[in-house]
Amino acid sequence: MLELIREGVPLFFSAQALLLTSLGVAAGLVIGVLPGLGPLMGIVLMLPVAFHLPPVPAMGMLIAIYIGGSAGGSISAILLRIPGTPLAAATLFDGYPMAQKGRAQDAVGLAVSASAIGGLIGGLILLFFSPILADFALRFAPPEYAAMAILGLLTISLVSEGSPLKGMLSGGLGLVLAMVGTDEFTNAYRFTFGNFNLSSGPHLVAVVVGLFALSEVVFQIEGGGFLKRPSIDRLGISLKGLRLILSHKLNLLRSALIGTFFGAIPGAGGDVSAFISYATAKRLAREEEGYGDGAPGGVVATEAANNGTCGGALIPSLSLGIPGDASTAVLLGALFLLGFFPGPDLFQNTPEIAGGIFLAYLTSNVVLLVLGLLLAPFFGSVLRIPKAWLLPIVLLLSTLGTYALQNSVFDLWVMLVFGVVGYVLRRASYPLAPIIIGMILGPVLENNFRRALLLSRDGLSIFIERPISATILAVDALLLIAIVISTIRRSISPRASASDPV
Amino acid sequence: MKTIKMLAGALVCATLALPGAAQQFPERNIENIYPWAPGATMAASQVIADAMGQELGVNISVVSTPGAAGTKAFETALSRPADGYTIFDGYVAPLVLQPMQGNADWTYEDFTPLWSATSNSFAIVVREGEDRFEDLPALIAYAQENPGELRYSPGVAGGLPHMVGAKVLQTSDAVAQLVPYPEIDVAIRDLRSGILDFMIINPGVYTVNKDEVDVLAVLSELEDASETYDGAPRVQDFGIDLGMSGLAPMGWNWWLVREDTPEDVVATLREAMGAALNDEEVQQRLLDMGYVPTLYSPEQYAEIVGPVADDLQSGIDAVAWEEEQLQSLDN
Repeated sequence: MLELIREGVPLFFSAQALLLTSLGVAAGLVIGVLPGLGPLMGIVLMLPVAFHLPPVPAMGMLIAIYIGGSAGGSISAILLRIPGTPLAAATLFDGYPMAQKGRAQDAVGLAVSASAIGGLIGGLILLFFSPILADFALRFAPPEYAAMAILGLLTISLVSEGSPLKGMLSGGLGLVLAMVGTDEFTNAYRFTFGNFNLSSGPHLVAVVVGLFALSEVVFQIEGGGFLKRPSIDRLGISLKGLRLILSHKLNLLRSALIGTFFGAIPGAGGDVSAFISYATAKRLAREEEGYGDGAPGGVVATEAANNGTCGGALIPSLSLGIPGDASTAVLLGALFLLGFFPGPDLFQNTPEIAGGIFLAYLTSNVVLLVLGLLLAPFFGSVLRIPKAWLLPIVLLLSTLGTYALQNSVFDLWVMLVFGVVGYVLRRASYPLAPIIIGMILGPVLENNFRRALLLSRDGLSIFIERPISATILAVDALLLIAIVISTIRRSISPRASASDPV
Repeated sequence: MKTIKMLAGALVCATLALPGAAQQFPERNIENIYPWAPGATMAASQVIADAMGQELGVNISVVSTPGAAGTKAFETALSRPADGYTIFDGYVAPLVLQPMQGNADWTYEDFTPLWSATSNSFAIVVREGEDRFEDLPALIAYAQENPGELRYSPGVAGGLPHMVGAKVLQTSDAVAQLVPYPEIDVAIRDLRSGILDFMIINPGVYTVNKDEVDVLAVLSELEDASETYDGAPRVQDFGIDLGMSGLAPMGWNWWLVREDTPEDVVATLREAMGAALNDEEVQQRLLDMGYVPTLYSPEQYAEIVGPVADDLQSGIDAVAWEEEQLQSLDN
């Protein structure tokens, strides 16, 4: 554990990595504050830039955006009653009433402090558990990897928004996209239609930018209100939030642990953990604390949880290569494109990269605390930027970034096509994250399955003769049954499922 | 608002003014289109790119463009203008092998060569402390007695290491089950855990995993090659004929530009690359990474690359032979 950190120090403590991490947090905060644009959008927009950087500064920047973005959403929730990101949806329960009572400054200070400290707690758990999990996964061979890939696909479909069935269909689409390109076993071309641009499949980043960024822009345009500038209380720079949080130590720790736990379950995500943590804090609170009516504890509970989730979500991502949520799926994609395969090998062969990523995560949270408190007055102004300015900027960044990936106009077409696909799928309430997971896990699943069969001396029995593979497959079967049952339930009583928060 | 307009105006003026500036090549950064995923081998190209960039006073970035056994990189570079700002990192697979197998419609003669870059030889390795086979003959004897029983990986199927490996097996009439891995680092892990019995690896992978593997034999007749693997024996030291000579059983790359690139641009690039490769510090850095600078000049291109093509045919045949043997075992 300390070994990893030691290896990572020289790579991370460079001017470039530190600067990019700090900028990442600032950019993440801004993009999180802006309603509709979450950490995922921030990561997506900066992905093409990261592609041209050395691995640790690149991952540092992306992870910093992830952290900053997860915290930034709370500020618009508190000031405007509009959560900047779904992660902050639970924050407005108490954050907005606090602002109404003239305590906006305190609420923002608390939110930022709770996010940073919650994130740090998540980071320590990440630091402790990832190497252990990775060490265990060293015993993994092709059959286990195939089984794990199925696990990742099933969990993301089970817990993503909308019905699990739609999640599985989206995941299936991702698997189909993953098949485009050159077959790694025979070098035969598949679904390339004679176009060399497709010989290694559509570029993951072009697909991600199209699916998430372009479709979001269309949704925002449909929402209207291009020139609306909300009126907001002025915020100042204050360290009071840090002092206030000291009276919520227990709540803070509990919420961060809840967040980390739910983050570590693939697919659960920050919004779920924030709601659960809020509910727990409310149940354990005394009546006079007035939860739902401007209780500082409510802000602490949700914000500590949703940033703790970031650390948690990175645990299975880094140690097993199974992403915890959509943002970590894209982070994994980035790591993959930078030439590192997430999983035990990352810890074994390139501990300096794994260590550098951990340091970037921990540092991001510290930077978040400093910048979050210092930049508070600035966020008010950010919130006053009208959509008419914002959306063209998003479009410009998407286009420039995607083109710069390989200086390829073809990638722009890919982006455009997936922008349309993303829009249509979201209209029909299909979740998008499983597509990305499918694209990442598709080759893992297919190649390890085929490899396992080549290694096996007795056909499919290799999957059940090995205890770890058999166990994971059993879990896969249980998940599949859960998906079937939940789908049947939904079709029997459609109304009950509509209010389902997950 | 006013400032932004002024800035935009200044930017437009600056852009318009650019073509009027000096027309000396190179006036902007150059890209080397590298055909594989990032890794140790790409680092070797980056060493040369950095040194050559210094000579030219611009930055040369190595752009990883993997796909289709290396041909995607060639297609990408071919789609760029012939202005010398795009260099092909001409690895043997996309340059010679893929066209031979009918997967690309160019030959090595369709490019203008700069200098040759590096070569790297392959080696047969088993896991560290393997007690079933103490040397290459023992491994081959086992594979002869138990056809298809051993599992081995040369990384990707049909690549150069695979051909050389298959050639050795064919020469000794031994059969082992091929298990392809696109990432050779992953294969090393499975070798370590006992799932694979042996592997064909390159110097980059060897340097990183020295403690995990024992080298049984180096697959090259060249003296230098043995040094790369810390003095391990070569195939011929066991009296086994590799059936391939010179550069044929090795991975190598030759930097190229498009055929119709202006002569003065080619001359500038050649001079810079020659100077970079002849720098002793650059050579030492490459050697430390397991890559031997080959130092063939542009004039030697046809003479060196031509014969390789013929020798490689026997490697292609060996892979076909292996496939046949494995299929007959299945039945």
